[in-house]
Amino acid sequence: MGSILVIAEIQKGKVREASYELVSFARKIGGATNREVKSLVMGQGISAGAEELSKKGGGEVFAADDAALANYNLDAAFAAVQAAIAASSADVILLSNTPTGWDLAPRIAASLDAGLASDCFNVEVEGSDLVFFRRFFNGKFDSRLRPTALPLVATMQPGATAAFEGAADGKVTALSVSVGATGTKFVETKVAAAKGVDLTKADIIVSGGRSVGSPEKFQEVIKPLADALGGAMGASRPVVDAGWLPHEYQVGSSGQVVSPKLYVACGISGAIQHLVGMKASNFIIAINKDADAPIFEVANVGVVGDLFEVVPKLTEAIKTAKG
Amino acid sequence: MKIMVCIKQVPHADARLDVNGAGTWIQEENIKFEINPYDQNALEAALQLKDKDASSEVVVVSIGPERVTQSLRTALGMGADRAVHVKDAAADGSDSLGTAKILAAVAKAESPDLVFAGFMSDDGNLAATGPMLATLLGIPHTTTAVSFVKNGAVTVERELEGGALEVVELNTPCLVTTQTGMNQVRYASLKGIMAAKKKPIDVKTVADLGLAGQVGAGAAKFKIEKLYTPPKGQGAEILSGSVDEVVGKLVGKIKELGLL
Ligand SMILES: Cc1cc2nc3c(=O)[nH]c(=O)nc-3n(C[C@@H](O)[C@H](O)[C@H](O)COP(=O)(O)OP(=O)(O)OC[C@H]3O[C@@H](n4cnc5c(N)ncnc54)[C@H](O)[C@@H]3O)c2cc1C
Ligand SMILES: Cc1cc2nc3c(=O)[nH]c(=O)nc-3n(C[C@H](O)[C@H](O)[C@H](O)COP(=O)(O)OP(=O)(O)OC[C@H]3O[C@@H](n4cnc5c(N)ncnc54)[C@H](O)[C@@H]3O)c2cc1C
Repeated sequence: MGSILVIAEIQKGKVREASYELVSFARKIGGATNREVKSLVMGQGISAGAEELSKKGGGEVFAADDAALANYNLDAAFAAVQAAIAASSADVILLSNTPTGWDLAPRIAASLDAGLASDCFNVEVEGSDLVFFRRFFNGKFDSRLRPTALPLVATMQPGATAAFEGAADGKVTALSVSVGATGTKFVETKVAAAKGVDLTKADIIVSGGRSVGSPEKFQEVIKPLADALGGAMGASRPVVDAGWLPHEYQVGSSGQVVSPKLYVACGISGAIQHLVGMKASNFIIAINKDADAPIFEVANVGVVGDLFEVVPKLTEAIKTAKG
Repeated sequence: MKIMVCIKQVPHADARLDVNGAGTWIQEENIKFEINPYDQNALEAALQLKDKDASSEVVVVSIGPERVTQSLRTALGMGADRAVHVKDAAADGSDSLGTAKILAAVAKAESPDLVFAGFMSDDGNLAATGPMLATLLGIPHTTTAVSFVKNGAVTVERELEGGALEVVELNTPCLVTTQTGMNQVRYASLKGIMAAKKKPIDVKTVADLGLAGQVGAGAAKFKIEKLYTPPKGQGAEILSGSVDEVVGKLVGKIKELGLL
């Protein structure tokens, strides 16, 4: 039996929470299939992170400490992963579904002629088989994915399980990586610009989705409800992509992460990238004409109906109630 | 410069989706399809390069059944020069790797200087095919591009979490996967649609590409064993009644929260 290799990520000098979630999944399936858990940490000046991971469930941690890995670089990271796969004899390789995972996981899989199950929210052991669970169609359906071959590569959704917290003694093994000429070059990271509208401070947010249909409808339907409630207006990504509202209104993984007292989602399907931006809200009202829309799974209260009927009436009723 | 754009036809964003009888995919009869939104941005990026250099050739490639012809015609109407359609039941049920192998065989015959793919398909959501294709071709790639500049080398801004961006430079040939919102996608003009009728769509089978037995359902490394509606969990309390009654209940809830 091969081992399980966790490709950990370092952020601001520390091992990411998502990487400890990978450790949780790895230990669960490792225990049940007799696979040892091993890990890779890559970067520059990462010895503290590697040490910590080795004491907190990462098993034998291969530490690739190299100037070429100081910033994310596809070729350098891929070289480190190849060295770690060779050193660990891994046949199950786990990454997080993060920008690094998006870039790296398919390259690892294709280079091994292996399958990739991406953005999985769970993995179970059934008999001696692994079964991966992921969503299709932007969250509309769940699926069971069964690997037909090893090795395999999977990326796991951040937040899908609790980070591993137990103590387990591993060790750190230095891994030397030879990075030749690279086809890609890191230039810089640009931090998101400061916003004119700071949704993270709003107590109430009324968000509209693609189905609102136009910038005019946002002003006619969504904004009046936000105003009546004394809250702010928000939006899903397609609204911003289409230029109906500026980026600062976008809620989600590539926008703002908010947790207001009340979040009203109007005509938003509830794709995971939107949910991660608002599911921590204290109270969520969802209005959607599709009773099976995934938004209803995180909402406290749902209305199955046409937002163009419900929202204007709600706006009037709020105004009346406020007097 | 030759630019290859990978286009997947996916169910229209407003299509009503149901699981098929076998419980392994959606039932595709009587629903509308469109070009995957991410791929529309990919095509637009390619066409913008052609706008700057008319000698460039844009080749769109799609794997799928007969219905895909319509999306390829749309792409040609928007300004692509040629299309390759891999139409073969032997490709059905391919996983991302099988799909990438087919696209790689097409790319090897075409030798493009640049390849664009969508970051992710709106149906499968695997976000895997583009980088797998680059790997099989042995060329550099980057993912989630929100901007693209070619000045000798290629410079891309890729999206990270929370709105941060990473600037990456790539040698050519390379593959870039595009994120939605990267550009405003043009419509096919009437003139473009007329011109598209004369543009060639080259139809190929899996065997033509030398991949018989290597792709399709039988070769998939991950099998979709079951596709199902997610269990509702606690879910929302769904309010019932007329619109007025429902609105009354909502106002009550908001009052309970102390927000009125
Ligand atoms: C009946 C049926 C059965 C299936 N069974 C399985 C299965 O058992 N296992 C499994 O893993 N998948 C299965 N699939 C889904 C599978 O076909 C996926 O679509 C495939 O794995 C590609 O992944 P993706 O669509 O998520 O693409 P992504 O990797 O998300 O796509 C990214 C980009 O790659 C390009 N691309 C993707 N597909 C094409 C294409 N067809 N033509 C041109 N460019 C393309 C596009 O540019 C796209 O934006 C099945 C599909 C059908 C219809
Ligand atoms: C890397 C990455 C990052 C992303 N980041 C974000 C992000 O930060 N934020 C984000 O939102 N998305 C993000 N996305 C996109 C995300 O995957 C979804 O595509 C998006 O959230 C869908 O937006 P939507 O719900 O408005 O549209 P759709 O998914 O198209 O849903 C429209 C909904 O409206 C309903 N509807 C239609 N008409 C009516 C009506 N009259 N009344 C009531 N309901 C109606 C439909 O039933 C449907 O549920 C990201 C994607 C990727 C790949």
